[in-house]
Amino acid sequence: MTTATLTPSTPRLSRRLGDIVRLHLANPMTVIVVPLLVLTAMFAVMIAIALMIVIGTGDSSAAASFSKGFQYSGTSFYIFVYMMVVAVQAMNATFAYALGLGVTRRDYYLGSAVTWVLFSVAWSILFLVLGAIEQATRGWGMNVRMFTAIYYGEEPVGRAVIVFCAFLFFFFAGTAAAAVFVRWKALGVTVMLVGLAFVLVGLGFIVTLTANWPAVGAWFVASGPLGVALWSLVLTALLAVAGWALLRRATPRG
Amino acid sequence: MTAVVRTRGLSRHYGDVTAVDDVSIEFEQNRIHGLLGRNGAGKTTLMSLLTGQEFASAGTIEVFGQSPVENADVLSHVSFIRESQRYPEDFQVRHVLATAPRFLPHWDQEFADRLVEEFRLPVKRRIKKLSRGQLSAVGVIVGLAGRAPLTFFDEPYLGLDAVARQLFYDRLLEDYSEHPRTIVLSTHLIDEVANLLEHVVVIDDGRIIVDEDAETLRGSATTVVGPRTAVDAFVGTREVLGREGIGGLASVTVAGLDADERRDAAAAGLELAPVSLQQLVVRLTGTSEKEFEKSA
Repeated sequence: MTTATLTPSTPRLSRRLGDIVRLHLANPMTVIVVPLLVLTAMFAVMIAIALMIVIGTGDSSAAASFSKGFQYSGTSFYIFVYMMVVAVQAMNATFAYALGLGVTRRDYYLGSAVTWVLFSVAWSILFLVLGAIEQATRGWGMNVRMFTAIYYGEEPVGRAVIVFCAFLFFFFAGTAAAAVFVRWKALGVTVMLVGLAFVLVGLGFIVTLTANWPAVGAWFVASGPLGVALWSLVLTALLAVAGWALLRRATPRG
Repeated sequence: MTAVVRTRGLSRHYGDVTAVDDVSIEFEQNRIHGLLGRNGAGKTTLMSLLTGQEFASAGTIEVFGQSPVENADVLSHVSFIRESQRYPEDFQVRHVLATAPRFLPHWDQEFADRLVEEFRLPVKRRIKKLSRGQLSAVGVIVGLAGRAPLTFFDEPYLGLDAVARQLFYDRLLEDYSEHPRTIVLSTHLIDEVANLLEHVVVIDDGRIIVDEDAETLRGSATTVVGPRTAVDAFVGTREVLGREGIGGLASVTVAGLDADERRDAAAAGLELAPVSLQQLVVRLTGTSEKEFEKSA
């Protein structure tokens, strides 16, 4: 027998990756609508707390005294963590489906990575816009600080970089976790989390035994939020590589 | 003849278990192949290997002349909706119908719409809420409307009722004659698809035990029925594939008979009955028919 050859040509790489992005966006409920609802709910809680204080003290100018407290608000942190959940859900849901339709793992992984970078850009823009409104309205009229919390620095460009790096980090942490889940299911994730805990505690021990905590603290202060954010890109890149290393040998299970 | 799929010494081990064992087969272009075998015989694993979803432990695979593993050129011409296919959990049927065409360049939307209507598939229902039959219908529609040059159907009609199954066979044959392509149908409902198949591969315990033209296979065995003594005398030293008996009557399945032998049998007052593909597979895989049907 001779061998059959392929007639129509394969779509270009950019088109194939675009198709993966669209696959993730096909049902925007899980990846876009729910995260926005989570953000809205958290914002509502912040505003409600601020209102309680204003009503309780009966003086809106008194708010200025607790704006110091609000600048340490970690509410927006949950949105970052939630992006990890989004990446895990989306990749766990679509991996077996994409392979059934004849997508290579490489295209799937690259397309997913492009999706998360685009999501990071979009979320950063949303954060910046909301941060600008927050500043312009003096914290929504009540000195509430959610999108301009102290961790993001005071200056818009720096804030943009920090927020973008944070989104990237959590999306790719989610990607790596998703690869573990796709390959070894819940047991794999449990082992990974326990392993991670051991590593972190181990590092803590090393730092403690070598009495290096002041040095660690000094590094964070010296680097500043922006420096830490830029250093996180190294970690993000490592996570992205780890995710690929795991997913490239994963097989879809029934 | 043109081979779309060609494997040499293909094996897949999971620890001690050998799911696919030294398989060397070829699937010819633009034919309908049956991949038959019992549950756990290795059908799904073999198809997963051919579509690059599983990694081989040993041996080689060529699909369209190249290795399918991580090969976008090959895989964009292949579709394999498995029996236990997972779809994104939050998807409704319409999301599947919107995303699948992007990965199947030969997709025919009109055909898909028609199939959705004929299978009465609720497009706004979530995949999770579909019945087993409706879920199978989703796979059948993606497989048919996708028109991939190499299409695998893995037990495509689990849970489908008789009407829907007939609809699948009819549409498959119609569309196949208008748009010839290579189809591999894995199933254990053998009698229902027997007439569709042009080539039959039987896998048992990971090994290929039959790799034959369907026509040749159908004539390859005959059941001889009559009084036990007459049957035994006729069978003699022939290869016996199966034997059943009640009282003084015997029914023995033997390898194919030529015209002279048929005449001899008739002269001895024996009845000759054709062996269905299903019976043949049952005989070959060494299972009693009852047991086989139970597993189906």
